[in-house]
Amino acid sequence: MELQDTYYNKSEYVETASGNKVSRQTVLCGSQNIVLHGKVIVQSDAIIRGDLANVKTGRFCIISKGSVLRPPFKKFSKGVAFFPLQMGDHVFVGENTVVNAAVVGSYVYIGKNVVIGRRCVLKDCCMIEDNSVLPAETVVPSFARYSGSPARLITTLPEATPDLMTEFTKSYYQHFLPTASV
Amino acid sequence: MSHNVKILPGATVCEDCTLEGDITIGSGTVIHPRVTIIAEGGPIVIAEYCIIEEYSTIIHKKSDNQENPPKPLFIGAHNVFEVGCKVESIFGHIGEYNVFECRCFVGPDVKISSGCVVGASCKLSAPQTLVDNTVIWGSDHNIREALEKQPSQLLQLDFLSKVMPNYHRLRKPNGHKRQPSRQSTEAGK
Repeated sequence: MELQDTYYNKSEYVETASGNKVSRQTVLCGSQNIVLHGKVIVQSDAIIRGDLANVKTGRFCIISKGSVLRPPFKKFSKGVAFFPLQMGDHVFVGENTVVNAAVVGSYVYIGKNVVIGRRCVLKDCCMIEDNSVLPAETVVPSFARYSGSPARLITTLPEATPDLMTEFTKSYYQHFLPTASV
Repeated sequence: MSHNVKILPGATVCEDCTLEGDITIGSGTVIHPRVTIIAEGGPIVIAEYCIIEEYSTIIHKKSDNQENPPKPLFIGAHNVFEVGCKVESIFGHIGEYNVFECRCFVGPDVKISSGCVVGASCKLSAPQTLVDNTVIWGSDHNIREALEKQPSQLLQLDFLSKVMPNYHRLRKPNGHKRQPSRQSTEAGK
């Protein structure tokens, strides 16, 4: 099935040389600490908190409207630290989702209105369904599908997940078009 | 509506947030960008050492049987409002050391004491009173009592108030020393 074209206002988005499409309505704090590895879409009202720690994403990531990427915070016996947030390739983050994870692998699908707790580790090829809440320090294994609040394993994903997610994010990127080119 | 925002020295308040009405922000409090605080039903007073994260909303709603002059909403010290939480209160008081986790909703008829935790994505809308140290979590809204109060976030506040001025435009503190009445009550605690 072909994805439908999503149109955006050309004046609202900035396209970088590496193909990142970033809305002007986002809050990118500490942009020198944010690395978007190319062909990443950051939609309006998303917040990426690079001021707290480094945030790195891979290629073909989609950060939807109103979502917040926030490096996690950890208290030590002496002092505190914010951990860097790493994200792999082909990651989809749904609308109004809060990601406090330490590591998000590649080919990960995170639905909308999800809360990913502090210092969670999401391995490659996993899926978090809409409206789930992942408690702090959860480790989600590969090919797992989590749902609910608190989120539990409900089923496993097919072996073809990497291909499916690659296909999905690539076609999302290709169908994310400026209105001017219609 | 009066726009009378008072920021006491030592508070860190980002410029990119909506503050409407009569609001007082205590010293040591950190307000992240994109926060909405609306005081339409009376003044809001936020005490010391609170953390208010992105997209959280605190509304002091107008109610029908409102007293005149309007009662202030007093938010105690060391409260943490995490990303996307929404608190609508008409009661005049929120205690200390509470944690409102990500995307939770606390309706106008909920009375909150001290040391409570409202879990991520929990929605409290029915009239109720949370006694001290209540913890609510999960989609079934399980309730238990915490053994002790939530630890304070002083270390995190320290870090934030050091780092945030390097990256954000901040609102300048414009308040002077508070009226002696509150200081003396706090010293008495």
